[in-house]
Amino acid sequence: MADAAPVNPDIELVARTQEGDARAFDDLVVKYTPRLYGLVYNMTSNHEDANDLLQDVFAKAFRSIKGFRGKSSFYTWIHSIAVNMTINFLKKRGRRFQMSLDDIDLNIQNDKEFIELTASSSPVREADLGELQQKLNESMLKLSPEHRAVVTMFDIQGMPHAEISKILGVSEGTVRSRLFYAHRQLQAHLEEFRIK
Amino acid sequence: MQDDDDITKLLRIKRFEQPPPEYFESFLQEFKDGQRAQLLMEPAWRIGWDRICAFLGEHMPARIGYGLASTAVLVAAGFASFNILETRPIEMVDVASTPTHRLVVQEPESLDFGNQGNQIQLPDPLPAMAPTTSFSTPRYVIGAQPASYDEPPSSF
Repeated sequence: MADAAPVNPDIELVARTQEGDARAFDDLVVKYTPRLYGLVYNMTSNHEDANDLLQDVFAKAFRSIKGFRGKSSFYTWIHSIAVNMTINFLKKRGRRFQMSLDDIDLNIQNDKEFIELTASSSPVREADLGELQQKLNESMLKLSPEHRAVVTMFDIQGMPHAEISKILGVSEGTVRSRLFYAHRQLQAHLEEFRIK
Repeated sequence: MQDDDDITKLLRIKRFEQPPPEYFESFLQEFKDGQRAQLLMEPAWRIGWDRICAFLGEHMPARIGYGLASTAVLVAAGFASFNILETRPIEMVDVASTPTHRLVVQEPESLDFGNQGNQIQLPDPLPAMAPTTSFSTPRYVIGAQPASYDEPPSSF
């Protein structure tokens, strides 16, 4: 007996939403809120803006879901909405804003990669965690919205290039090129925290 | 490449920036409240229109929709052309009953073809120019031609 192919649960939830089952959409909201919040928050560096944008993202997705034909996955589709709305928001906002940062989860002290980072880099070890957070966010905000989106998805959220290219609707080459340029800029801003 | 790895390691610290734990628990309720509030702010006609669109979208296959739309366009076009014809009826002119002026064309004597003259009946070209008042002589004359038969205003 052949094994049945694993069914993406999103497909069923989307179909039920399209048939008018609002609870199915609630499940999608609950499932994607943490991930999309991370995307929008790391692009805006402001908790309140991220919250408002995320509400708008889900509202737009709910209004448009009848037109979702499944040409891409729901994951890609909702991420595209979130990235595009956030980029538009950042372009309108310009430079007039204040950072409103979330606290760093104290579990970071137990994170293997963070332990390695602090062990190998004396500037990072000596820096106050809050100071490091402030500096990282300031450096991110110096990037253009498009470059910030790529850095957020690749470096912070760990998405592969192929997925990012689908979400942004650009080639993988463009994703790599944007990452290269953004890293050069970030290195200049974060020189003091260089590991070696 | 080493530099890229350093940057990536540093940026991973941002993964640990998290909102308070209760934020994600209350987000769904906040979203629903926002949706409800937005719905209440929308005008009634918009809600009605959305419902009609949703109903038609659900219950009407595309083929029927296109057929109905095409029929509606044809009916509208037919109605519009019918109205155009109705508002501009063809005027039938009874030539025999219209006043005529007799024009006598007198041929020069040197070109006498044996006719006394040809008589051509022409319809009155300017029936509206006939005097409408009791004045038989024009009130104003410009360049020896009558310009108006109207009486001057009493204020003069």
